[in-house]
Formats: sequence, C-alpha cells, structure tokens
Amino acid sequence: MIPRLSALSFRTKINCGIVLIVGLIAIPLAYLTWRAAAESLQTETRKRGLVLSENLAMRVSDAMLSMDLLRMKNMVDELKKVDDISYAFILDRQGSVLVHTFSGGFPVELAEVNAPDGPKPHIRLLDTGRELIDDFAAPVTIVGTPFGTARIGLSRTKAEAAADRLALMIVFYSAAAMVAALAPSTLFARRVTERINRLKRHAEEVVKGNLDHRAGPVTAKACSDTLSCDNTRCPAHGDRASRCWLTASPDQRGEGPESCRDCPVYREQKGDEIQDLAETFDVMAVSLKSHLDELRRAERVLSRQERLLRTILDATPDLVCLVDENARYLAVNRAFANFLGLTSEEIVGASDRDVFPEDEGQAMHEENSRVLAAGRPSDREVRLRRGGSPVWFHVVRVPVVDASGRVIGLLRTARDVTQLKQFQEQLIQSQKMESLGKLAGGVAHEINTPLGVILGYSQLLQEDVPGGSQIQADLQTIEKQAKVCRKIVADLLGFSRQAESAKIEMCFNNSLMEAITLVRHALSLEKVVIATDLDERMPIIYGDPEKLKQVWINLLSNASDALEGRGGTLLVRSRLFAHEQKVTAWFADDGPGISPDNLGRVFDPFFTTKPVGQGTGLGLSVSFGIIKDHGGSIRVETPAPEGFFDALDDPGHDRPGTVFVIDLPLDHEETIGGGHPANATEA
Amino acid sequence: MRRRDVLLAGLCLPFLAACGRDEDAVRVDLSRREEPVLRQLPRAVTYAYLPQYAHTVSYERHRLLLDYIGRATGIPLRQVFPDTFEEHVRMVERGEIDISFSNPFAYIRMAASGARAFARIIEPSGKPDFKSQIICRRDNKELKTLADCRGKRWMAVDPSSAGGYIYALGEFFDNGIRRSDFAEITFAPGPGGKQEKVVLAVFAGACDIGSVRDGTLEILRGRIDLGQIRVLAESKSYPGWVYCARAGFSPEIIEKIARAMFALRYDRPDDAAILSAAGMRGIIPAVDADYESVRRLAEKLGLDALPGGEE
Repeated sequence: MIPRLSALSFRTKINCGIVLIVGLIAIPLAYLTWRAAAESLQTETRKRGLVLSENLAMRVSDAMLSMDLLRMKNMVDELKKVDDISYAFILDRQGSVLVHTFSGGFPVELAEVNAPDGPKPHIRLLDTGRELIDDFAAPVTIVGTPFGTARIGLSRTKAEAAADRLALMIVFYSAAAMVAALAPSTLFARRVTERINRLKRHAEEVVKGNLDHRAGPVTAKACSDTLSCDNTRCPAHGDRASRCWLTASPDQRGEGPESCRDCPVYREQKGDEIQDLAETFDVMAVSLKSHLDELRRAERVLSRQERLLRTILDATPDLVCLVDENARYLAVNRAFANFLGLTSEEIVGASDRDVFPEDEGQAMHEENSRVLAAGRPSDREVRLRRGGSPVWFHVVRVPVVDASGRVIGLLRTARDVTQLKQFQEQLIQSQKMESLGKLAGGVAHEINTPLGVILGYSQLLQEDVPGGSQIQADLQTIEKQAKVCRKIVADLLGFSRQAESAKIEMCFNNSLMEAITLVRHALSLEKVVIATDLDERMPIIYGDPEKLKQVWINLLSNASDALEGRGGTLLVRSRLFAHEQKVTAWFADDGPGISPDNLGRVFDPFFTTKPVGQGTGLGLSVSFGIIKDHGGSIRVETPAPEGFFDALDDPGHDRPGTVFVIDLPLDHEETIGGGHPANATEA
Repeated sequence: MRRRDVLLAGLCLPFLAACGRDEDAVRVDLSRREEPVLRQLPRAVTYAYLPQYAHTVSYERHRLLLDYIGRATGIPLRQVFPDTFEEHVRMVERGEIDISFSNPFAYIRMAASGARAFARIIEPSGKPDFKSQIICRRDNKELKTLADCRGKRWMAVDPSSAGGYIYALGEFFDNGIRRSDFAEITFAPGPGGKQEKVVLAVFAGACDIGSVRDGTLEILRGRIDLGQIRVLAESKSYPGWVYCARAGFSPEIIEKIARAMFALRYDRPDDAAILSAAGMRGIIPAVDADYESVRRLAEKLGLDALPGGEE
C-alpha cells in the first residue's frame, strides 16, 4: 500500500523532491537533447553527405576525364570504409555505372531512384527494408558541363543508432547524476530533519511540561565569556545554550536580533532559520516557564486564600450564601448546608424556592429580588419553623456589583438569634417578675399585719363563744381561711425574698424524709404511693431546713397533682456526688408529663395549668428561688429518662412521667465515700 | 485552466514538438543486382593536351577548341587525359593519341617515334615561343642573382617539362650552375597541375626557388598573393607548344584539322574566346625543323641519355 504523501517523513520528501526535480530536469533534457542530437546528427549527416558527394564528384572529375576506373574505384572504396556510408558509386553522363562499392552486382533499382537537381546535389531518403539510407546525388560537372553523377548512401539508421546511443548515454549520466544527487540530498535531508526532529522533541518536552529542555545549539563559549560580562543576574550569563540577544535583552526584541548585528556574540553564534526557530522556542520555553511560575505562585496564593475563606465561611455559625442575579445559589457555607440538611452541591444552582418550604422560600426569593433590583442592602429578622419550634435569624443581604457597578448577585448572611430572642423574652419576663415581686412583697407585707390581727381576733373570739356553736364554727372558718391567707402571704414574701432564711448544717435525707412523712398519708388517700431511694451515706448540706422542706413538699404536691387523682407512684431518689461537691435529688412521677410548650415556663411565677382557684402558680417559682438561694439548680425532664422507674416493685407504668432534678452544693468537706456521676437511671 | 494543467502542458510541449518524421522514404530493393557493363565509346579522333595542368583545366582550356574543330571539320574529336608527360608520350607512341598538343621537349621525344609537328601556337605574349621563369619568395633576401641559387632547394615542374624545368636548367647550365650545385632538386608531385604546384611550393616556402613556364603566374592570379612571388630570372625563349600527329595518322585529317586551326583569328571574338580559353593567341603552321634549338638544348644538357627523355 502506498503511504499518503503527507504521511511520509520529511527526509523522504526531500529525497523524493530532489530526485523528482533532477528527474524532471534530466528526463526532458535527455529527451530534448536526444531529439536535438538526432536532428543535429541528421543535419550533420546531410551536410556531410553533401560534402562527401560533392567532394567525390569533384575529385572524380579528373579520373573521369581520363576514364581512370581504378582511381574512381579507389575513391568510392575509400568512402565505403567509413562506417555509416552504405555505398558509393559513379554514374557517367549516360547514367551507366562506372564504379561502385557493392559486391555481387549493382542494385539495378538504385541508379534510377535519385538524380542531381540540375547543378545542385539532391538528397533522397531510401528505405531498403532493412535500413533507412540518405542517398546523395552530386553532379560531376566540369566547366559547367555535366559529366556524370557521384552517389553516396549514408545510413540514417546507423546515425539514429548513434543518436540513440547518445540518448542512452545521457539517460545513464542523468541516472548517475540522480544517484549522485541522492547522496548529498540524503545528507542534507538528514541534517535538516535531525534539527527539525530536535525541535519536535523540544516541543514534545514543552507539551509534557519540561520547560528546561533546550532546542538551540550549545556553543563553545557563553556570551558572558566572549564579552567578559560580569552581570550574573543575566539569564544568559554562563549559559552556553542561551543567546543573550534573545534572552538577556528582551527590550531589544522590538527591533529583533538585528540590533545586535555588530556584536561579536551575534556574529559568532548567529545561525540559519532553523537555529533562529530553535532559539525562539527556547525563549518561548523560558518565557512560558516564568509565566507558569508566576501563575503557580498566584494559584498557590489564590488556593490558600480560597481555603482560608472557605475555612472562615465554614467555621462561622452564620448561614452564608452567594446568589447570582437570578437569585440562584452560587456558593454556600457548611452551616447553611447543614441547616437545610443538604450538601453544597445540591444547593448550588438551586433557588430559595427549591430548598426552603414554600412560604419561606417565596418570601426569601421576593426579598432577594428586591435587593437585586434596588441594589441596596437589607437587614431584617426572619422567623422560621424548624422541628416544631420557632427559629429566629438575623438576615443581612448585601448586593454584589461588578467593575461597572452592575449588580451581579448578593451576599446573604443569616445569624441564628433564637437564643437572643429567648433571652430578650426572659429579660422582659424577669423584669416583669421583679416588678411583680416587689409589688407582691409590698402588698404581702402590708397585708400580713391586718391578717395577723384578723387571725388573732378570730382566735380570741373563739375563746369567747361557746364550744360547738355556729359562731365558733364560723370563727374557725375565719381562722382557717386567715391561715390560708397567711400562707399565701408567706409565699409572696418568700417569692419576693422578703423572708429571711436560716441556714444550718442539716441532713439531706432527713429533710427529704420529713417532707415525705408529712404528705405520705394525705397522698395515700389519693392512691399515690411515695417510693424512696435515698443515698445511704446520708449527705450533709448547709441549708434552711424549713425552706427546703417547703420545696420538697411543693414538689411532692405538684407531683401528686400531676397524677390527676388517678393515683400513681412518686419516686424520690437522692445521691451524693462527693467529687463534684454536690448532692442531687430526683422527684419523679409517672404521670402524663408536661407538654413541650409548657416545659420552659413551669418555673415562671403565676404560671399554672390548674383551674382558677386551685393554684396560684407560685409553688415552683418559689421553689426555684429557694434552690437558687441555696446555690443550687432545679430543672425538669419530661418524659422521665428511660428505665427511671425500673427499680420499683410496681413496673408497668405506661405514662411518660416527669422528673424534677435538684442539685445542691456541699459547703464543706465530706468524708463519706467517693463521687459518682449524676445518672438519673442509676438505681 | 488550472496552474497545474498549464505546467503539465508546458512540460509535455517539447515532447509533442519533437515527435514525428518529416519526409517520406523511397522504397528500394537492393537485392536485385547485376554487374554493369561500360558502353563502348564512339570512334573519334583522340586529342590530348600534355598534362601540365589538371585534367579539368586541360579540358576547360581545349573544350572550345575541340568543339570548334569538330564543327569546322565534321570530324568527331575526343579529348583524352594522360596523367603524366611520360604517359602522354607513351600514348602517342602507342597510337592512343592521334593529335598531341605538347611542349617542345615532349615533342622531340615523340618525334623520335614518328610523330610529326604540323602546327604551333602563338603564346599569349604574342610570340610563337616561350621561356622559363625562375621564381622565389619576395622576402628571400639571399636570392638576388642566379648565382645565389647555388646550394638552394629547387623545385621544378617535371623532368620532361620544357618551360618548367629544362629551359631553366639550360639557363643555369649557361650560367655555370650544375644540378649538383643545388641542395636538392625536386619535382612537383602527383598528376596534373604541376606548374601551379611549383608556384605554391615556393609561396609556401617548401623550396627556395621554383621554375615554371611563363604565363603560369597569371593562372594563379586571384588564388595567391602574387606580390609575394618574385621572378628571379628568365631563360632564353624557345619555340612554343606544338601540335603533332602520331605516326601513321591520316594526313587528310591532319590537313583538315590544321586548316581549321589556322583559320582561327584572335581578332574575331568567337575565335578569340576559343584561343583565350586554350591559352594561346593563334595557331600557325609548324614543321619539325622548328624545334632544332630544343634538340640542341637537350643534347647540351645530356637529356638524350635518359629513357623517354627523363634524366
């Protein structure tokens, strides 16, 4: 299969081209030379034949006059010795053959086929069947009188054969020239293609990224040696593979190396076009390398800045995102993706309407559109619903503009301010409670005195009335209700910290048992069983026994109320955590539990779920205040931790239950036992 | 047309232009042969001119004269061309030449065989006799007198040539110069044209002196620069060329021919053309006794001892 011309190697193309050129020149030249030689030979043959025949005619005239046949015979025989003369003969005036060169008789047809053209010779081409003969008939004229004819036959076939031999020789020499041309052309092609291949290898190395490869020739001396140049900062200094006019003087490239024409380095190292190309490649590689180095440095800086920025964005708890002019996400930080429960890749390209619930997404999209359209930042708080509870975000939208000032997107940051909002609500509530407490304390203080008078007078009056009378009964009712009032007033005073506490060292377990003993009977009437699980190490605390007892009774009372009269079990557990210097008590019931909505408000003053008249909502609030006063904490868990009631003898509780956990500090060193973690499930 | 087609056509054009043969060949069968036989020439009176010049010159000079004699006498004449003086003499002796036109010395030899003179010519000089000229190159400073020819190379026309050799030899003899005094004596080579050859030899420097009959230099005028030739000396005059008839030739025919010859007049243009071509002014009667002076010269030079008159 013949390969395509374009697929041939350059060396083969050069060789083929030179052979083709030599062939195209030599072959037509050989042919034309052959033709010219043939024609020239033919012309010369004709001239020669004419000369020979006329010469014969002239020379034979004397012999003809004297009828010297021998001389005439010798003359024609002399001619016959010439290779291409086929025959020669002499005719007399009457056309009779006097002498001839034929052996075996004279061809009878030959004498008549040609005759002189008057006083001039005549040429006629004869075909003998074996060869072509130019027949020359020259008149033998003496003083204008025709005496006969001299005839000579020159073989044109032999002349043409000579021309053919000449053509063959030309072809042979042309072929030899072609072969001879092939050798230097091969050397030339090899020289050229070697250098081109070196350029190719250089280009391949550049493509592979090796920009240190050099294509130009290495000279014997570096330019710095030639010029005794001590500029070591020059890139061509000491480098025999670099040309200073290309690498060291980039400012001169505007005029090209021509500006270095008179420099000895240029004169010594200037090469041909291929060397120029190779050196340009080298310069290109050096330039490319320097640019790549700059790009790599810039890339490293950018990459580091990107990582830094990404780290900052991902580290910030704020929800940060960048949207384009169509309000579609371009980038989001990790907090944003976590908030939506999606990956960054899922979010990028989507819009707010795709990733947020319908109402929230629509609102956000509209706000985005307003900011994009107006080009002014916005700042607002947004309330979202997540997990059944509200979540507040402070959302800031800042438009992003390009160099021409056109808005091409916006940066949106959203900070979770839910806790702040709760603190704000709590602060407002605390301030309200403080004012209310001060009001209640003042009122209770003022009521306490007349109430004492009422109680005192009712007791005095009971002494004055007969026993068992209606008046006594009424007075007892007055006394009882007055006591209730005094209790309420005492609670109010306690709530408003009006009551002074008297803290002493006391046994924690005993305090609990005192309270349990007080209420156990009453609660048993409501089918409520109180189970205890107290730490046997008998932890000692520093506190007000009465107030703490009030707390325990309050908690037990609340627990009983939570059972809603259907009975149940109350579990009181205490544990000492010596290493944490605290003691913990759990008051648990197996009731229906507290709803999540109310869970955060149970310690608020006057918060109650009981019907009007059955509770003031101050019990837990007062208990909270007492525990805080003792440096402890109280919290509620509902439902009760799993397995909290497992230690009881009466399992099978199917209600979630509620547990109040109270931690109280130990003010002095305890010598009893070691610490254990406060695990509510611990038996 | 695309450029490639033009290029291709340009390359092919020389091939197309060079193709083809430009003439037709005549078919000839060379196999049918027979040996040619020469025709017998018609009988005629043979006429020969002593070959002092080339045959063609001889033919040219006497062609008109023969035509005239033929017309005047009604006798067919045919010119024959002996190659040498000797052959001429022998052919007369053998009867192959009926009428001979020769120099006096050749005549006395032929007369010995029975040939008889019947006419003689008047030379272009207007005299019925002629002489020999001894020539040399004009720039040859050594040759001033005849005596200076001693030791020189001498080329003569022919040993039998009267004007070209013998008359000059007689002149040298009369001046005391013998043949042995010359460095060499050579004769013009080859047949015919010997007078001219001598002049050319002197002109070319092949010899120092040459001897020719008078009138020869005029024949070469225009062919060589005669200014380069100097006539060193001339011999005494002797009777001019002579017509003789071979022994036994018909006296009547001789008479007719002689009359026709004598009838030529140089003052008639037609006759003058005939006579001028033949290099003569006229033809007058002659007898054998007219050539006694020549016989004496031969005797003086001792030429009789040579066979055929040659030395």
